[in-house]
Amino acid sequence: MSLKNKLDLWLPRLVLSPSLLAVLIAVYLFIVWTAWISLSSSQMVPKFDFVGLEQYVRLWSTPRWHTAVANLFIFTTLFLAITISLGLFLAILLDQKVRAEGFLRAVYLYPMALSFIVTGTAWKWILNPTLGLQKVVNELGWTGFVFDWITQPSFAIYCVVIAAVWQSTGFAMAIFLAGLRAIDTSIIKAAQIEGASLPRIYVSVIVPMLRPAFLSVIVLLSYISIKSFDLVLALTNAGPGSATEMPSTFMFAATFRRNQMGVGAASAIMMLMTVAAIIVPYLYSELREDRNAH
Amino acid sequence: MKLTTILAASIAFMPVAALAESKGKVEGIHHWVSESEVKALKVVTDKLASKGYTWQDSAVGGLSGANALQALRTRLAAGNPPATMQFLGYEGLDWGKQGVLRSLNELYTKNGWDKALAPQLLSFVKNGDDFISVPINMHRQNWLWANKAAFDKAGVKEPKSWDELIANGDKLRAAGVIPLAMGDESWQILEVFEAILVDVNGPEFYKKAVVDLDEGTLSSPEMIATFDKLRKVRALVDDGFTGRDWAVATGMVADGKAAMQVMGDWAKGEFLAKGLKPGVDFLCFPTPTDKPNFKFVIDAFGMFKVDDAVTTAGQDAWAESIMDPEVQKQFNLFKGSIPARSDVPVDSFDDCAKRSYADREAAVKNGAMLGGLTDGFAAQPQFAGVFTDVVGKFFVTDMSSKDAVQALVDGINNAR
Repeated sequence: MSLKNKLDLWLPRLVLSPSLLAVLIAVYLFIVWTAWISLSSSQMVPKFDFVGLEQYVRLWSTPRWHTAVANLFIFTTLFLAITISLGLFLAILLDQKVRAEGFLRAVYLYPMALSFIVTGTAWKWILNPTLGLQKVVNELGWTGFVFDWITQPSFAIYCVVIAAVWQSTGFAMAIFLAGLRAIDTSIIKAAQIEGASLPRIYVSVIVPMLRPAFLSVIVLLSYISIKSFDLVLALTNAGPGSATEMPSTFMFAATFRRNQMGVGAASAIMMLMTVAAIIVPYLYSELREDRNAH
Repeated sequence: MKLTTILAASIAFMPVAALAESKGKVEGIHHWVSESEVKALKVVTDKLASKGYTWQDSAVGGLSGANALQALRTRLAAGNPPATMQFLGYEGLDWGKQGVLRSLNELYTKNGWDKALAPQLLSFVKNGDDFISVPINMHRQNWLWANKAAFDKAGVKEPKSWDELIANGDKLRAAGVIPLAMGDESWQILEVFEAILVDVNGPEFYKKAVVDLDEGTLSSPEMIATFDKLRKVRALVDDGFTGRDWAVATGMVADGKAAMQVMGDWAKGEFLAKGLKPGVDFLCFPTPTDKPNFKFVIDAFGMFKVDDAVTTAGQDAWAESIMDPEVQKQFNLFKGSIPARSDVPVDSFDDCAKRSYADREAAVKNGAMLGGLTDGFAAQPQFAGVFTDVVGKFFVTDMSSKDAVQALVDGINNAR
């Protein structure tokens, strides 16, 4: 084997190895470590004894954790559904060769440039009945208008959804728009020649072809929703009461503020398993079909 | 945290010449970042400088010190603890049990510090037989702050019981002010709850319920009655309490939009900053009760075990600076609290602080000196967290008092 061939063979491996090592240690090693802690009696500092599933039993007997899990499902479902449909709708509208498209795209994409802390704080004020939207509408003359979801424990989680959708829709739109632009126009022309109407073309031809874009959007949005920590903290601080508690805020509170590192680790493992249960089969099916197709 | 590391690193590499005059440096982690807090801290660091040591500041603000604790964990794990750190509540004791704190017995015996501190306070600076930290200040948690003009307008006076306070609410509302200013953050609600708990049921009941976590006491009818009273207090609060910061609520009292606030005496600084005068523009009195009590919150500094003699000597100098009577006086004039040492006179303090001082003396004698639950001086964090959850949820939902008590008992048992 010549030197060049050897180099060709080894260079990619050599270049990849540091990042591989970093990922192995910083991600997988710490997953194992967290799993271990979740089986120990750790409170303020890690302890390496073994108490079986005691921390998991404790976790699942905590009402706040039940709230957190329920909220995660409500939030993820609504957030994904609304963001994807709105994003796709906006992308299709923008794809109609409208004037000033670049400007509009920037307008929709701009919220993504803000941090969740900023979004959360701004929406906290907008949604506050004595400061924001309700006050403005009341002062405009519609005095009976009430919009105080953020003060109501059973509705506050929808406020988090509103803020998150506002922030992420532009991002979904941008990915869908890129997907739309990548579609060969001759296919659309062919469909038109066949006499298909425009809505029909979109539903039966274009949207199915956006599958890779859907994959990216779903994966990225799901992980945004599961790690939604800063948004909740800034918008509601997990309140009122603990009505907008999320698994991530629960984990932080247990581990760092309440000396329940074992419970915190157990909740982190539960989160990991939830994500894995949803994402892994999805990725597996998507990627396998991909392989079959080629 | 990263910023602190960078700052710490940049200070560590500062030219040696800059430190030439110094015998050494003392690095401390704390979470005092507001203007008055920084001014107050400077009193202590100036004293330290006069003893020949340089203060190396590692402030980590945010989340009531949770961020600072995280910074400490990282430093300890890396085997590089700071010389000293500010502790609230059980934090110092917990770290003491991990064996990472120096015993300060020698300093305490030499200077007779233990005699200068209230006996109830010792349980938070002493781990077993070892003194592990030095307290600098004492905040009182159970204060009621009131706008004098609003009180005069509604024709109400300092209430003598919670029932009277609740009844005053109607008169205040009729006069066009919000009776009670507060936010919906769980800890603010807990401050009110624990005030009612001890004011109505007395110090012994409070100790049994939140310090001993006695199940019989927690599920007693008195506990249900306490929640009932909290429900009535809810009616005194306006609807805009969502996400309202405690300082914003204090501002509402200062501006006369609201009449009262239940808050520790850190709220005093907000009034003073607006140029208001105690007794003239705003009033301060303990939360209403016929069973006087004093709920304390202290900030104490613990010293970490280190190998080199220079840092150890620096730690001694730091401890002596903190316990210096004049330092305690000046520090607390800025901070709004009273000196942790009971033997430092408060003649130059304002009326609120003087009342705090007198009440403390009485409470020490009567055994009515209690740690504040909200700020971590009664129950351990995992139990205090249950109180926070249940009380916070109770206040913002229409949960019944009976259900709340049940949730409290279940939660405490689950966290044991």
